[in-house]
Amino acid sequence: MQSQQTQSSQNNDSEAARQESASSSSSSKPDFKLRFVLSGHKSSVSSLKFSPDGSLLASAGADKLIKLWNGTTGEFIQTLQGHTEGISDIAWATDGEYLASASDDKTIKIWSMEERSEIKTLVGHTNFVFCVNYNLHSNLLVSGGFDETVRIWDIARGKPLKVLPAHSDPVTAVSFNHDGTLVVSCAMDGLIRIWDAESGQCLKTLVDDDNPICSHVKFTPNSRFVLASTQDSTIRLWNYQTSRCVKTYTGHMNRTYCIPACFVTTPKGKFIVSGSEDHKLYIWDLQTRQVLQVLEGHRDTVLAVAVHPFRNLIASAGMEKDLTVRLWFDE
Amino acid sequence: MNESLINPFSTLSHPTAVQTSLFAGALFAKFDPTGRFIAAARLNGSAEVWDLETRAPIRWYDGHVKTITSIDWSRNSRYLLTSAKDWNVLIWDLSSTCDPPQRHAAIRFDAPVMSASFHPKNSQVILAVLATGEAYVCDLRKQHKSRVELLETIPDEGDEEDIPPRAPMTTARFDPTGKNIFVGTASGYILIFNTRTKTMIARHKISGAGAMKSFDFAKAGRRVVTNSSDRTLRQFILPNYAPYQPISETEQPPFLDVELEPTHRFSDPINKTAWHAMCYSPDGEWLAGGSADPAGHKIYVWDLSNDGQLATALDGGREPLTYLHWHPTKSSLASTTNHGSILIWHNPTPERWGAFAGGFEEVDENVEYEEREDEFDIEDEAVLFERKMKAEEEEVDIDTVVSGSQTSALFGGSGPTPTSAPETHSAGEAGTPVHVASLGMENGNSAADVGDLAGIDVDAAWAEEDPDCDVLSQWKVKVVMDNDAADFY
Repeated sequence: MQSQQTQSSQNNDSEAARQESASSSSSSKPDFKLRFVLSGHKSSVSSLKFSPDGSLLASAGADKLIKLWNGTTGEFIQTLQGHTEGISDIAWATDGEYLASASDDKTIKIWSMEERSEIKTLVGHTNFVFCVNYNLHSNLLVSGGFDETVRIWDIARGKPLKVLPAHSDPVTAVSFNHDGTLVVSCAMDGLIRIWDAESGQCLKTLVDDDNPICSHVKFTPNSRFVLASTQDSTIRLWNYQTSRCVKTYTGHMNRTYCIPACFVTTPKGKFIVSGSEDHKLYIWDLQTRQVLQVLEGHRDTVLAVAVHPFRNLIASAGMEKDLTVRLWFDE
Repeated sequence: MNESLINPFSTLSHPTAVQTSLFAGALFAKFDPTGRFIAAARLNGSAEVWDLETRAPIRWYDGHVKTITSIDWSRNSRYLLTSAKDWNVLIWDLSSTCDPPQRHAAIRFDAPVMSASFHPKNSQVILAVLATGEAYVCDLRKQHKSRVELLETIPDEGDEEDIPPRAPMTTARFDPTGKNIFVGTASGYILIFNTRTKTMIARHKISGAGAMKSFDFAKAGRRVVTNSSDRTLRQFILPNYAPYQPISETEQPPFLDVELEPTHRFSDPINKTAWHAMCYSPDGEWLAGGSADPAGHKIYVWDLSNDGQLATALDGGREPLTYLHWHPTKSSLASTTNHGSILIWHNPTPERWGAFAGGFEEVDENVEYEEREDEFDIEDEAVLFERKMKAEEEEVDIDTVVSGSQTSALFGGSGPTPTSAPETHSAGEAGTPVHVASLGMENGNSAADVGDLAGIDVDAAWAEEDPDCDVLSQWKVKVVMDNDAADFY
């Protein structure tokens, strides 16, 4: 199928009106408006990531494909094909030269952006690979999956360096901190664990009283906190040094799927953005925890969200009733 | 970043056990200043850079046709220098993506190069010692392009006939600031040269040392440890060196001629084995010495904050040690065996199983639990929620990075060292037998004073003129996908 790009009518009446009334109260509120709708995927889109320089947007999904789009105009560039099962997560190397993808075919593939092709397959997980991330120097990759392990890979040689029997349920998210010395992982057992990347030792476990399934976790840009999404429709910001939850964000709906949350830094302030099972995107103020904007337009659960590295641009994508990637601008 | 969780008090201990050994076929190996890599010199003249995170070689530098004699890293690890017995000093650029790697620069001398090093502030200034006992400073910068031999100033005693011949130079190092060059001679002298003017500013006789073999500086640069042919390591506290002030063109420049007394002497009293290498820990609190014992791999660690007592003797097995280097930030050592393996030593942190359970805290001994007055009170959920929301009002900072190395560097810099007291001595007071050649005592002091006021920045500014391209985060090491070597390592 030919991938196509459509320019949405920028002045969608009802949408614009709502935005206006919302933003009139305070000038520092985000004002994201839909600008582009990208279609091409044939099944649910599970992951969206902007390249570190912002020039490319990669999307991957249950249709086993990775699609590359222009990071700002949304023009379709290329489809990368190779996995034999659906893809759950993708991650860019910090220099943007490589892209890693985690698939239900139990492998991780590394794609070269120079050659626009697959250059390595990491084999080792014994069940679906669900999440993947690079470290700062992009010489290591961390992955987690339904075999309940967290694996750290030497990418240049394609060999696993460490296998951490990290959790007692599928690992839903795993990532390095900004300097690559720590790893955070979370799983359906509701635990968030912090690991020493070098020794593989567990340093800390964060757990909420109700033990809800933890679906996504990531470090803040300075790595002093972790942002965790749980399937009790809550996003929490944890101070992992003191094991204290310092912020709680609610209002969206998240009971079934693993929906990631992202930080948005704009001249207007700092926000948290997350998809929701009520087909919307929610934007909270980082400090006040108020919902500042709700983006409507998707026709199914919004599974994937990505934030452009320097422009005020959010990309979002949904499940199979929608199949579109939407780019929202606030500029 | 992980330091605060592993070791909240950020004290640096010495390594205790071998963490891993790398089969590198190395003569010697040196950590880079960031601690990410280790460079290994191989017998066949090639150099290898290993990534310590993946424990695998990532770059192979073939350029020398004879044995490599020394390796040095530029300040932010972008450039690697190798010197060899084939009369060449080669410089490699780690950020280069050429395959096979091409050398970044080459300097050719007229004799085998025994050691070479980068200026700590500018990798375009290079110091080299030749097998013939000469030391050169090579400046590769466009407007300074030069090669200057460091010449010992022979005090002019009036008698033209019996000027003693200059002793061959055996080792040379920049001090950590790069302002001075320390040269060791075969006759047991340390000569100090100003890097900018290349003139000798001081000379220290080390009595009983014999030929100097190598130096190592504590990070602040006020302490130096020497290895010499009498099989003893000596630690000295350095006096303040006044930068050279030109008084007149014709007159011989003055220099400080002082005999230094070591604060500590380290030697093996029983076997009297020599030392192959020694290295300070990053905070300068420990000194590690690699024994030249032919029957074993022994590393001695002395506790300098505890009057230089022997803290431990590490045993690395039966392969004799050839070289030793301390990690730039961590409690980790790299020692090389004569079979070519690099042993990486570390200080293992015990596994804390309590960390696996959330909200669980390990206690060392039984604690009598005291129930709080309100512990089992049933509180209104609304009140609890209110209180929680109130607590969450506090602003959080998600962007400002507070790195562990910064805090530890601060700690190391201001930390109390037992040797810090004498470091405030000025040039005139340092040591006891002060003898300033061809100038009176008063003149010597005034020169020192002027230097303290005006001279310091001249040297720093000189070094930072025409800076090199080794700036952090402006270059990166490209990950080279390696499909062939996968099974070999």
